[in-house]
Amino acid sequence: MRTGSSRVAWDGAMLARGLDARGRRLRADPRCFVGERVAGAWAHVCALADEDAALPFDDPLVQQARRDALAWWIPMLGPSLVCMTTLAVDSVHYGGAITVARDPSRFRDDPFARVFPGTVVRTDLFADVPPPAGPVIERMAGVAWPGGAFATTR
Amino acid sequence: MSAALAPTRCFPDLELPDHTGRPRRLSEVAGGDPLVLLASRGWWCPKEQRYLRSLLFFQDELEVAYARLAVLSVDPPEVQAAFRAGLGARFTFLSDADRRYLDVLGLRETTDTVHHPYRPAAFSLYPDLTVHAAYNGYWYLGRPTVEELRQDLRAIAMRLRPDRELAG
Repeated sequence: MRTGSSRVAWDGAMLARGLDARGRRLRADPRCFVGERVAGAWAHVCALADEDAALPFDDPLVQQARRDALAWWIPMLGPSLVCMTTLAVDSVHYGGAITVARDPSRFRDDPFARVFPGTVVRTDLFADVPPPAGPVIERMAGVAWPGGAFATTR
Repeated sequence: MSAALAPTRCFPDLELPDHTGRPRRLSEVAGGDPLVLLASRGWWCPKEQRYLRSLLFFQDELEVAYARLAVLSVDPPEVQAAFRAGLGARFTFLSDADRRYLDVLGLRETTDTVHHPYRPAAFSLYPDLTVHAAYNGYWYLGRPTVEELRQDLRAIAMRLRPDRELAG
């Protein structure tokens, strides 16, 4: 795993990046790792270390979690939010989601925990990323939502 | 409608807080997709309530159509957040509570000299904020219908997406 990639490793207890990181490899929104990292943040990792824990991104359960993130999860977190990302297994499958915040007290309401249960961990890996503007919940060319954008001719 | 906001002109890249209070730029809200921007009087106006409710069905299309929708009003972020939640909207509201852009955009509602809200207007924008179409919504029926917005976004997308035609 390259340090400059969008991959993150999750072993069920710890998030890590880098060539020697242990755990399940999942692709995140690459913007989460660009720029100044927020020290001492909290991550709510709604994913399992089990390699078989995956659903299609198009599964209604996963789609509704994204809608709920836009509708009320992001507003509920307000300025505490650092960034959020879904976790892609491949071009089709969803492996979970991570919400990173400065305050973990709202994590019990995380809509992504309906898909895979959440684990709270302390992390210094993530940078501030503007939350998705909505209402788009579809992915861009296989990049983990809400990352990615189409190249435009204008 | 101001000539500065006419088709082919570039809409100003507004810098305003969103409904959560987070600073936003309009170009960031567009995020590389076509964008419909609605200037709105505010939550209290029955016409705005009716019009935005009519767009909730459209947001269900836009969520899979790689196109964005945003609302601009003078309501403070916390009021916008409550209005947005009440509507069931999943798009961004931009708050110009300080009226920074009312006159820059030429959209001051001259018939309300008490609250100084935006005059209702709608703009279909390219991702680089070039205006494709502009609508004066002072009279309710001047606002674009969902079908007009769909046609605007289709026209923009046809220009934007080089892979719009299937390979032969």
